[in-house]
Amino acid sequence: MESLYVSLEATSLSTWLRESPSLWAFPFVLILHTVGLAFFVGANVAWDVRVLGFSMGIPLDALRRYFVVMWVGFWVNAFSGVLLLLAYPTKALTNPLFYTKLALIAFGVALAFRIRREVDRFGGTEAPPLARTLAAASLACWIAVIFAGRLLAYTCTRLTVDFPC
Amino acid sequence: VLHAIEAYLRSTPQGEFLRTAMWGWPIFESLHFLGMSLLLGTVGVFDLRLLGFARRIPVAALHRLIPIGISGFAINLVTGICFISATPDQYLFNKAFYWKVTFITIAGINVMIFYARTFRRLLETPPGVPPPISARLAGGVSLVAWIGVMSAGRLLTFFRP
Repeated sequence: MESLYVSLEATSLSTWLRESPSLWAFPFVLILHTVGLAFFVGANVAWDVRVLGFSMGIPLDALRRYFVVMWVGFWVNAFSGVLLLLAYPTKALTNPLFYTKLALIAFGVALAFRIRREVDRFGGTEAPPLARTLAAASLACWIAVIFAGRLLAYTCTRLTVDFPC
Repeated sequence: VLHAIEAYLRSTPQGEFLRTAMWGWPIFESLHFLGMSLLLGTVGVFDLRLLGFARRIPVAALHRLIPIGISGFAINLVTGICFISATPDQYLFNKAFYWKVTFITIAGINVMIFYARTFRRLLETPPGVPPPISARLAGGVSLVAWIGVMSAGRLLTFFRP
């Protein structure tokens, strides 16, 4: 693993992201990751609260249009997340919380697919009881992802191969 | 004047709490990100509807999500004031902070104009019909303003005095 950290940190993209004084380097990637989070988790919140029975006047099948927003947010964050990882690979990969965050995201995405399948099985216009339970779990999962992500900055032990956090 | 405000904020109990409580700052930051997601998940979703996205959703029904966004904004107002009280110098002498305040003000003025002039007319527009120009403008300004707020917030760290 140690040699992987060394070689990743030595790449020119990693070095540029980490050391460039330009706002288009690290700061811009952070902005992408934050705005992506807001739209991704936000669209999930809107969908989940409607599935839970909030504001029943919103047609569930019409609300599906917002899945596009969810996926744009997801891919913006997958992309910016890879860049953040590349900038500080040792920092993320030596922190157990980083793997917890990834597992929570995988769980949340799986839940989202499952909720959709449940809604579709009922004709796509109303939410069955199981979908409601899963929507509550989904909300809890995204809150956990936010906390895990934010706490990464406070639980790291190594910033780079040569420097502690 | 700024130094007087700084000294006052620093002496407040919420500032003292956030400086000394061990996990206080990280937990408040997480809440700040959660509030942001609640805001964008409801107000942002509504803004896209104003722009003409997902027109089949009745505006009044989607508008019922707005209280969730307002509670998100309230969480962020409280946690935000706590951050500023804890380390006022990091904000009062930071130009990214003033950009952030400016974008929040733009969003605030926009929403007042929206409710004063556009909202009632929009409620009379049936689902499926393209929203009037004034509604599109309100939605667009709101989205740009909130993206500006988030970007300026993220830049705070890089413009520290």
